[in-house]
Amino acid sequence: MKKNQFIPALLFLLSSNIGFGQAINWNRINEQKHIVNINIAADYALNYATGYAYKIKSKRPTLLNAEYSFSSGGNLADDFKIKTGTQIRWWQSGNFQVASKLKAVFRRFHNDYARLLNFGSDLSSSAGYYKHHWFAAAEIGFDKAIVTHFRHSDLYKANFPGVRDGWYEPSTGGNFYYGLQGGWSGKNKDVYINFGKLIQQDFSTAPMIPFYAEVGFNLRLK
Amino acid sequence: MSVFVSCTKGRLISGEGNLVPLTVEKNGSLPAISINGSMFHAETFGNPADKMLVILHGGPGSDYRYLLNCKEFANQGYYVVFYDQRGSGLSKRHDKKEYSIQLMIDDLQAVIAHYRTSPSQKIFLLGHSWGAILATAYINQYPSAIRGVVLGEPGGFKWQDIKDYVNRARNFRFTSEALNDALYPDQFITGKENEHAVLDYKLGLLGATDAAKDNPTGNGAVLPFWRAGAVVNKALFDIGEREEPDWTTNLNQFATKVLFAYSESNKAYSQAHAQRVSAAFPNVQLERIDGAGHDFISFPAGWTHFFPVALTYLNSL
Repeated sequence: MKKNQFIPALLFLLSSNIGFGQAINWNRINEQKHIVNINIAADYALNYATGYAYKIKSKRPTLLNAEYSFSSGGNLADDFKIKTGTQIRWWQSGNFQVASKLKAVFRRFHNDYARLLNFGSDLSSSAGYYKHHWFAAAEIGFDKAIVTHFRHSDLYKANFPGVRDGWYEPSTGGNFYYGLQGGWSGKNKDVYINFGKLIQQDFSTAPMIPFYAEVGFNLRLK
Repeated sequence: MSVFVSCTKGRLISGEGNLVPLTVEKNGSLPAISINGSMFHAETFGNPADKMLVILHGGPGSDYRYLLNCKEFANQGYYVVFYDQRGSGLSKRHDKKEYSIQLMIDDLQAVIAHYRTSPSQKIFLLGHSWGAILATAYINQYPSAIRGVVLGEPGGFKWQDIKDYVNRARNFRFTSEALNDALYPDQFITGKENEHAVLDYKLGLLGATDAAKDNPTGNGAVLPFWRAGAVVNKALFDIGEREEPDWTTNLNQFATKVLFAYSESNKAYSQAHAQRVSAAFPNVQLERIDGAGHDFISFPAGWTHFFPVALTYLNSL
């Protein structure tokens, strides 16, 4: 890919498109503008994450989010994921509320054989019951690996010299997820959990860890 | 997304030859045999009139590249036969539902028949890991068909032993680099049940964990390979879970001494496990290969210990 094509594509993805992570108590959404988040999750692998959300002025409560996560291990910089996007509560009836997330995803994987760079999207919706001090919701989403760049090490090329490095498109993968989220909200903080099932886009195969689980903490600031 | 389309046209991860090499059906330059309704990547070394030694690789779904040290037996008066098992390495791929343990045994029978040059030719098997299980399943079915067998660290000959061993061998810390490297690609690459190129590539990536310091199997380095066979691997494990096979029922009829080798550095394979598994045979020479892990045949420290022991054993029969 030429550089002048790569940068607009990156900007387009990062500005247009969010999965599990940063569960919000929509009942408290008008109390602050900034939310700082940390979480630990079994999200394909064991990940540690930090995120930030900013509430913008709009007719419907809307957050702009960014999240950085990295997988556990001896090398914390080689496998990571950046998600940016928006989160909108678009329906409310009393304490029942429905919200959706749309995130762009950039992720990197590296081992002794290959380095993979991927641009993808993560779309999800949640519906639940939101009270002042607690919330519970169900969510469903789709995490898509849209385009992936493969670069192989000399070690892999010793096995297969003819391997073709470069961008692979269309989609190299995708996983649906569905589950529950719930949390407790204090004066300016939330503690929450997300958990559920993962299934590949063929609806019959599961990832090696066929579930996700996350424990997180939000600090809400005015 | 059009910018991506314009620069990646035709580059599909499901495309054979992109991320994984072509198999024998699509690459006519590879040495191959057509037997038992399939096509196998296979080659031989040595004089066809010599005693035959058939090498059986592990996995299921690995290939014989990591066992090529065994070519050395050809210089010692053995006709050495290598083949990638059905759905493995560079052999032809089949749909998952087509695989069975019996088919793998029949393939071995057909390989022997294909290369055998006379009815009096002595046949020996050398199986490593899953290959040692396959060799034992073959002996259990045909107790008088072969003259001797070398078994390298089979997980077990009963499903529960295999399951217990595999669980110990995959016992990585949840926070480890190796485990997370194995799991993380699930969000980059997904493939349907019979999407061989995709699934083989993904399984091949896992091989990098062989070199991890915390890998219990103790190799300390990666193995050379051509192409992983993900579908046959999944198919045979699923069959094992479903049928819980026991390949020991007729082993008491195999009175010949068996060479059973296990490694010092494989923390998942204790001496007690080696004794329990090998006890299914009535006559066993149990050998510990010092200074090496599970794949002791592939690395110098293990090979220099293993080869003379195996050669002495084979020559004694």
